[in-house]
Amino acid sequence: MKENFSGRSRFVNYLVPLCLFAASWPVGRTGGALYALGALILAGLSFFLFRHLVHQINQAEQRSCELDEQLIQSQKLAAIGELSSGIAHEINNPLAIIGQEVEWLRHLFETSTLQEEKDRGEFSDSLKQISSQVDRCRDITHKLLNFARKMDPVMQAVELNRLIDDMAALVEKEAKLNNINIIREFQKDLPLVTSDPPFLRQVILNLLNNATYAIEANGTITISTKDNKDGRVEIAVADTGRGIPKEHLKKIFDPFFTTKPPGKGTGLGLSICHGIIQRVGGTISVISQLDRGTTFTIRLPIAP
Amino acid sequence: MSSYKPKVLVVDDEARFRETLIKLLNTKLIEATGAESGMEAIEKITENKYDVILLDVRMPGMTGIEALAKIKKIDPLLEVIILTGHASVDTAIEIMKHGGCEYLLKPCPVDELTARIDAAYERKVTRTKVKAKTP
Repeated sequence: MKENFSGRSRFVNYLVPLCLFAASWPVGRTGGALYALGALILAGLSFFLFRHLVHQINQAEQRSCELDEQLIQSQKLAAIGELSSGIAHEINNPLAIIGQEVEWLRHLFETSTLQEEKDRGEFSDSLKQISSQVDRCRDITHKLLNFARKMDPVMQAVELNRLIDDMAALVEKEAKLNNINIIREFQKDLPLVTSDPPFLRQVILNLLNNATYAIEANGTITISTKDNKDGRVEIAVADTGRGIPKEHLKKIFDPFFTTKPPGKGTGLGLSICHGIIQRVGGTISVISQLDRGTTFTIRLPIAP
Repeated sequence: MSSYKPKVLVVDDEARFRETLIKLLNTKLIEATGAESGMEAIEKITENKYDVILLDVRMPGMTGIEALAKIKKIDPLLEVIILTGHASVDTAIEIMKHGGCEYLLKPCPVDELTARIDAAYERKVTRTKVKAKTP
């Protein structure tokens, strides 16, 4: 953008011939000088106006970049907010089991000598449960940390199937509560793509959350990946939800456009997804049929 | 002190949580049994007599709040303690609206839970007596 507007030399290139042209206007000496003076003043004013405009455009561009960053960050926080209650539930359940197993072990210690086979079996079973529930908690917190860590866009080779599978696992339990099935149709031996994993996670999670919201209950989300054989890999997130009306489809990637009730959506999710996918060199598109469902398709460049 | 053991139904879809809690409550002079869903809980309550229900909120099929409304229709005197890993003001309000008496967040120490069960049982006994005296 800057290159198109910048350069005093370009201005001079126009100004000099303009003055010469005005000076050589065939209306006599005085008239020619007046024209040249007028043209000079006009050109001078245009130059300052032009500089001011270029400055304003540069500032607007900078503000837009900053706003983009802020939007991505706020979207991330909103997504974490939505997930946090589910995650608290996921962590509190294994913690409750761990607490109870410890109490049961304490009871066994107080009431038995652990000489009997049955008591030893119960003791060992409780220890196994504690270990398995700690693993369960660790799995949840690790996924959360992966999702929430401070993200500087870093392009790297990404194994898409694994990344998508992790995100699907994060929403799967919640989805099952509403009888929503998540089907994975991943192409085997999918080429690596060049992208930013935290950004991609954010996009996939957003699309999955939108899909569960669109279905409400009793439906299917199909996530598929395939090599398009054109240097790009395609991810499709298809739901069997209520679909998007035609008039909304045009605005679906606009910031603050939402059909959710107040307090339920920021209207930033898809706008951010669109921004992210563009930043990582991909494309995102949507097709939808009312009462049949919606499919979001992302295309990403294959790693060189 | 009476030798009566309060009858408690633990309703939770998490099998290991339910089973270990039942074992622990049984060591605390409480007669506990389990149900893995709201539907199973309603069946058991219709067929058997309980004093206190420990009810999870997030369960597949029928949620704890839906189960609570149905339980209170079957037996309004039954004391229901909500024991959940997912606390929110909205849920708490819903529970109070449907007559839930206690709202505990997992993980909850068994001694605290036992104390709440005892208090709930005492409340049930008092309310039953009051109801019997009310013409």
